[in-house]
Amino acid sequence: MKSYHDIVGDGGSRVLEQVVEQRARITDGLAGVRHLVAVGSGKGGVGKSTLTLHLAGALRARGLRIAIVDADFNGPSQARMAGVQGALFVPGTQKVALPRTSNGIGVFSMGSLIPESEALDFESAAQGESHTWRATREFALLGEILRSFDWGELDLLLFDLPPGAERTVQYADFLGPRTSFLLVTIPSEVARGVVARSVAALSKGSNRLLGYVENMSGYYCRDCDAIKPLFNSPGASGLPIPCLGTVPFDPELARHCDRGTPLAPRPDTPVGRALDHVAQQLLDSLDRTPFSAHGSGELRLGKEPSR
Amino acid sequence: MKFLCVPCDSPMKLQSVAPPERGSLSVVYSCPECGYEMAMLTNAYETQVVQSLGVRIGPAEASAEAGPAGAAAKAGESGTKCPFGAMIPAPAGGEARPEEPVAVQWTSGAEARLANIPEFVRPMARTGIERFARERGAQEVDEAILDAAREFFGM
Repeated sequence: MKSYHDIVGDGGSRVLEQVVEQRARITDGLAGVRHLVAVGSGKGGVGKSTLTLHLAGALRARGLRIAIVDADFNGPSQARMAGVQGALFVPGTQKVALPRTSNGIGVFSMGSLIPESEALDFESAAQGESHTWRATREFALLGEILRSFDWGELDLLLFDLPPGAERTVQYADFLGPRTSFLLVTIPSEVARGVVARSVAALSKGSNRLLGYVENMSGYYCRDCDAIKPLFNSPGASGLPIPCLGTVPFDPELARHCDRGTPLAPRPDTPVGRALDHVAQQLLDSLDRTPFSAHGSGELRLGKEPSR
Repeated sequence: MKFLCVPCDSPMKLQSVAPPERGSLSVVYSCPECGYEMAMLTNAYETQVVQSLGVRIGPAEASAEAGPAGAAAKAGESGTKCPFGAMIPAPAGGEARPEEPVAVQWTSGAEARLANIPEFVRPMARTGIERFARERGAQEVDEAILDAAREFFGM
């Protein structure tokens, strides 16, 4: 009697074929993007989204073409912070146009469509058992977004990841080896411990770990024009990846994020200088090890499922 | 998943997919050698897991006209509220649109462009574009309205 592997095809359901086709269309859609960088942590509340947006701003100020995918579908924050809440998704003849900030950063965020008073909800007859399918559904949606929107020619596409060390690894699997990772921590032993787990988990895969950024590294007091300590933690993070910079907390920056008017990079402030430094370190790190020298060189996401 | 006709030792072929009923799909396979037919009846969880991949089950030619995204979208927007509506190819013609409190018509060209939007967010995008049109006194969404929206939002 024939076994599963003796049979070519699946008799007509085309499930695997469609999944492979989906991935090919994602690859095509991202062909004009030079670097894919996922900003994650594992820990929640460390400022991944804020850092992603302002790092994008610092990169944009250097004349680079930047877009952000707010991959946190359940807790999207980029739409509010970037000022694209209520922006429409407008279809073109082939692709969907990407909402843009006033300084030209493309931003996809579910927060543009879903009011903050509502939760992301998928209709299902299997209600009450969402743990069995929800992650798959969310990744399918991410794939649909990546192949539907017009990313065009970009220098960097930043993915703002949701919290959770296991989720970070799932995104690494889904996005594939072409995507490099930048992790965010804060000067807290608890946060560093979680980020260390993310580093350990990501190290087992094929994604490049560019390094980490220590966010909330003190706070910037505008009255004193000085950085003051925010946490009483030892200086060394102990993380086995390069530190690309430290960024102090700036209450003014947080206020602008709430209002949806992201601060233009101001190189005359400690935060502006810190973000510019991280941007330079990030670019240096990406250029040091171009993807073609690190991975397969193919513009593809993930791995094709085995048949 | 593959099915094998044991007496013939021959892979069975998908014959038809019945519309989802209470979360269950009925997928009929037949043996090309002896003609034996069998039906795979899924429970809601099995159906949902496959649906979560964003794929459609059914003969490709049944939906070739609209393409995968288009067929899924039509089924998903049929107004049936069935969560598995997007899994099978849409029937030819007779598409019902969700009821709208204020009638804003879409030209065929604008509808075709709307199909480029991911299925899950399409209803929300449609609502937003119709609101944009109404705010400008338009009772029809055409490609000019879509272009105006792109320009308005600096895209």
